[in-house]
Amino acid sequence: MHNLTIVRPSHMLNKVPEVTLAFWIIKVMSTTVGETGADYLAVHVGLGTATTDAIMSVLLFAALPLQLRARCYVPWMYWLTVVLVSVVGTQITDALTDGLGISLYSSTAAFAAALAATFAVWYSIERTLSIHTIFTTRREVFYWSAILLTFALGTAAGDLATEELGLGFNLGVLVFGALIAAFAGAYYLGANAVLTFWLAYILTRPLGASLGDLMSQAKTYGGLGLGTIYTSLGFLAVIIALVTFISFDPRARRSSVLTREKA
Amino acid sequence: MSMCDKVRTTVLLTMLVVAPSFAVGLLTPNVAITAAAAAATSSKLGDLSSFRAIVVDTKALTDKGDLASANARAKDLEMAWDEAEAGLKPRAAADWHTVDKAIDRALVALRASSPDPAACTQALADLLAVMDYMSGKA
Repeated sequence: MHNLTIVRPSHMLNKVPEVTLAFWIIKVMSTTVGETGADYLAVHVGLGTATTDAIMSVLLFAALPLQLRARCYVPWMYWLTVVLVSVVGTQITDALTDGLGISLYSSTAAFAAALAATFAVWYSIERTLSIHTIFTTRREVFYWSAILLTFALGTAAGDLATEELGLGFNLGVLVFGALIAAFAGAYYLGANAVLTFWLAYILTRPLGASLGDLMSQAKTYGGLGLGTIYTSLGFLAVIIALVTFISFDPRARRSSVLTREKA
Repeated sequence: MSMCDKVRTTVLLTMLVVAPSFAVGLLTPNVAITAAAAAATSSKLGDLSSFRAIVVDTKALTDKGDLASANARAKDLEMAWDEAEAGLKPRAAADWHTVDKAIDRALVALRASSPDPAACTQALADLLAVMDYMSGKA
């Protein structure tokens, strides 16, 4: 089922990390940090939503060229980009919901369609959706476009489930965690690796948001009462620790080596 | 690309759209029951007294003509309300939006470049009325 991919069209190495446990932990936590960070600037610092949106977009458009120009996977650059994409993806959905009054049903459907269209175009041009062979700029642009849409979709679908439909963050953690576990189980039972990866990836957005709420919300509301600031700082510390570890551990930088490709 | 691959890709893309919708759909029945229960007992936003107290403070400051202090107190309200969103909103989303919009109107009035004291007082009185209405429903 696996065959080694040795032919590369360019001198770039795979630009994105292997999918390991650390990958998922950082991904889930960066979601929380991204959202509370933007919220902190908008409300606590008092910059307002419009200014915060603008700042975050500028930061993303500053970080993205760094990531795109790199010749190989550089952990801090990659994860900085993920956090910023996370913030901007969330802000896009929030702007549609709060600013334009678009219902979460509509935005969920629209982002699902946009993501499917992105994958369709990506596949029709590249003949693969593999995240193990992101070694051209064109593929990387597809990759980051898809990731931005997974954040926007994950925010819309997650807010719809946990807030508008009243699931709440306690059940949210269980439901999103169980769905991710189901996709992981499907993967190990031989389901399509690309498909299960992206489905789980979408769900990490609402999982991260619910987990952050569980830690930060007051006990009155069923949370642990740590507050958003301590929760975010705690998660940020874990992210920095893991990214630092990955940066200095040669085995953890698996993506620098060309790896197996699921047919 | 073989026919088999094409079929698999089509299935993959279809599932990418269907699976999230399905996941939401799965959750909906429970939610419908919760919503029905919520409607029977009216608002489930619960205790809003901590927020109401801040509005009372803000209104007292506005009535005294101290709009600067009223603004600072309104900021406390904004932060407390924002902080509690994930806890409160799932209880009764529609009611939450009603209160949220009333808070927004009060903030807009207080933060106007040249605030109109009468408009501020009115917006805060309206906000108190909305909160009391929600508490009465609880």
